[in-house]
Amino acid sequence: MYPPKLQEIVDLFDFLPDEEKRENLIAYADGAAACALKPGESFDLEDTRKDEECTDTVGVFLKVDPATRAMHFRVNLGPQVQTLTRAMTAILCKGLDGASPEEVMEVPQDFVPKIVGGQLVRLRSQTVYYILTRMKSACKVWLNRERAAQAAG
Amino acid sequence: MNPKFSHYAHPEALVDGAWLQEHLNDPAIRIVESNEDVLLYDTGHIPGAVHIDWRGDLQDNVQRDYISPEHFAAVCSKNGITPDTTVVFYGDKSNWWSAYALWAFRLFGHTKVKLLDGGSAKWKAEGRPLTREKPSFAPTKYPVPAKRHDADIRAFFADTLAHSQGRKPLIDVRSPGEFKGEITHMPEYPQEGVLRGGHVPGAKSVPWKTAANDDGTFKSAEELRKIYTENLGLKKDDDIIAYCRIGERSSHTWFVLTYLLGYDRVRNYDGSWTEWGNMVRAPIEKGS
Repeated sequence: MYPPKLQEIVDLFDFLPDEEKRENLIAYADGAAACALKPGESFDLEDTRKDEECTDTVGVFLKVDPATRAMHFRVNLGPQVQTLTRAMTAILCKGLDGASPEEVMEVPQDFVPKIVGGQLVRLRSQTVYYILTRMKSACKVWLNRERAAQAAG
Repeated sequence: MNPKFSHYAHPEALVDGAWLQEHLNDPAIRIVESNEDVLLYDTGHIPGAVHIDWRGDLQDNVQRDYISPEHFAAVCSKNGITPDTTVVFYGDKSNWWSAYALWAFRLFGHTKVKLLDGGSAKWKAEGRPLTREKPSFAPTKYPVPAKRHDADIRAFFADTLAHSQGRKPLIDVRSPGEFKGEITHMPEYPQEGVLRGGHVPGAKSVPWKTAANDDGTFKSAEELRKIYTENLGLKKDDDIIAYCRIGERSSHTWFVLTYLLGYDRVRNYDGSWTEWGNMVRAPIEKGS
């Protein structure tokens, strides 16, 4: 089960021919810049780093609505990040927007081949999974903080 | 001609952005983009360039090998290439994959090949034209090559083992950490694909990047001679094998040794570390 907005995107891509998948992925990649942190925005959690799973720096920013626990992500990508990873970033920012931390933590990776298609999933495309992993890591930190606050309160 | 090129052994094998921009509509050339980033071509490419994918178009996707001569002829025909067409390759990652595609074209005897110095990054940095429009060329009748020239420019496991045992020139072009066996893939990539780390016994570590400037262009002939001829001691008629992890970074070095320095006998071991490091009982050295 995917969060509803991600399910919509998966449903859109799942039955598209490869060429149309490519065109839609390029459109999402073009939109990745709009998922970046905007001036003046504040976030509950910020995690900016470059590690061995990606070719450039990736910043993940998480804001959580305290009343509904709805999660909102921003992701900053360095210039060397590959096109497929940019596309997946835009898809995840849109698809996971408003989901609960538990829903994000439970998102399985099997949506990637449904969106990307067999032609583009290959050995060196594994960074498409990386952004989801970083988002889940941010959720995990936030959940730990929430539990700590509840235990203290 | 770019003055830097005139000092290379085969200056005709390189072009710069200015030359290529002047030849965008030259019917005698076909511009080919080959990348690691599988969607990069779609986001903007040199006008008139076609996309040839190193895996989808040039590799047999069942057996680990390259395509058949019949399949190669079909790839060329589809892209409007004849045996007389000069193919100019360029791409991302300092031309790793375009050098790999160029090497694969040479496997099939297509010798009219050139590389764009600095690849796509330099073309973009110079503000040269880009388009998302995919060109369409009338299919040609590219004759099926009589054979694949594996013996001339390609080394297999057995060749590389014999080289190692005979202490012949063997160049490991991976990063120092991969050579030492500390990691099994490039530092910025997921560590997967091979069971053991280290290097082929007797190999010398000369990372591919030592041949490239920061902007992805090749170093000058003088600088390259210092690296490979003086420091490494390679002689013009040496029998040389280069390898990396899957053969693309070593294609870059193969191009340098073959075209820029003019070594007579250079082969690319495309099985590279993903074959050697997985091969049962293949000898391995660790450390520097």
